[in-house]
Amino acid sequence: MKIYSTALTLTLILSPFAFGGCPTSSERFQQGSTRDGSGETTRDARATESAPIKVSEINTNGLRELLGRPAQAKRPLLINFWATWCEPCREEFPDLVAIDREYRSRGLDFVTISLDDVSDIDRGVPQFLREMGATMPTYLLNVVDPEMAISVVDQEWSGALPATFLFDAKGTLVYRRFGRIKPPELRAAIEKALNAKP
Amino acid sequence: MRRNYALALLLLALSFIAVVAWQGGDGAMRAGIKIGESMPDFRLPDLDGKEHSLSSLRGKNGTVLIFISTQCPVSNAYNARMEKLAEDYGARGIAVIGINANATEPVDVVKRHAAEHNLKFTILKDHGNKLADRLGAQVTPEAFLFDASGKLVYHGRIDNSRDESQVQSQDLRDAIEAILAGRQVAKTEARAFGCTIKRAS
Repeated sequence: MKIYSTALTLTLILSPFAFGGCPTSSERFQQGSTRDGSGETTRDARATESAPIKVSEINTNGLRELLGRPAQAKRPLLINFWATWCEPCREEFPDLVAIDREYRSRGLDFVTISLDDVSDIDRGVPQFLREMGATMPTYLLNVVDPEMAISVVDQEWSGALPATFLFDAKGTLVYRRFGRIKPPELRAAIEKALNAKP
Repeated sequence: MRRNYALALLLLALSFIAVVAWQGGDGAMRAGIKIGESMPDFRLPDLDGKEHSLSSLRGKNGTVLIFISTQCPVSNAYNARMEKLAEDYGARGIAVIGINANATEPVDVVKRHAAEHNLKFTILKDHGNKLADRLGAQVTPEAFLFDASGKLVYHGRIDNSRDESQVQSQDLRDAIEAILAGRQVAKTEARAFGCTIKRAS
């Protein structure tokens, strides 16, 4: 009886941190690694602390390639979709910057994808990133029809912003959040993905 | 031995919770009404506080429910297009009804916004986002088209781009034209980026 109650107590304490582990179908994230040169862009866009902020365009193929990362990646990948016109996106951004600071050195890749107009690629988007002190690679999705891009990321996603997805080192989607993130929940999912044996 | 047993039990409980947490998840899988299912009947107040049942507002040839927002720039980019849609198809027996389910947008704000932007179609306030939950609406703008018999025949975006000059795919209009012509709707679902509906709680 005591064992049960101890287990139950622990379970209740730990339950908010228990997100993630159930494997889901990852086939669609693995397929279609087309070589269209966006692999190169990935490295270019990886800003360092001192480098100027450069936002690169990405299309559906580039997005597909980003998600179906080559085998050498082996790091969990966090992706946040946002826009400067999206209020909850702006509100949650400082939390995302803090998460990037904390976890990048511990093995997390973090990329953000802006849904702003392409005319903002040199102005509004980098300006916002600068204000936030953000240094994670950021792309601007430039597609005429967003349906395919949304599908490539997650069939369950309606396209509502913000949206945040965590893929483990194997490329399996292990966590998703539509709407403003809950930092403790996201951190727990990241910890879990980082601690998982590849 | 006792300790091992407790540990095993704990792990079992944790994995169960992980599964439940993932399935039940963070807001909002695309659960809700499916293509071919019937329009649920709800009673919702308009912007003057008068209650309507959805069934009483149905159009002779079909009904469009569009979730809208006063604050979302994407929804606002569609104000003129939505009003035009209501005008174009109202005369052809299609009722266009706006639904505001955002907990952060009180009815007086919605009313003022509609007046300012010349939205003349009926707008209902979905307090507590009950209708949004039942339909599985997540984003603004997001449309649900029901045919004359009240079956869902199209769900999703109005068209492919918030920038009207980039529109190439008139998904909602195409679906309406199909039901008016007695044809099957070719594309029954299509998505675009928009703002998350801000739910109560």
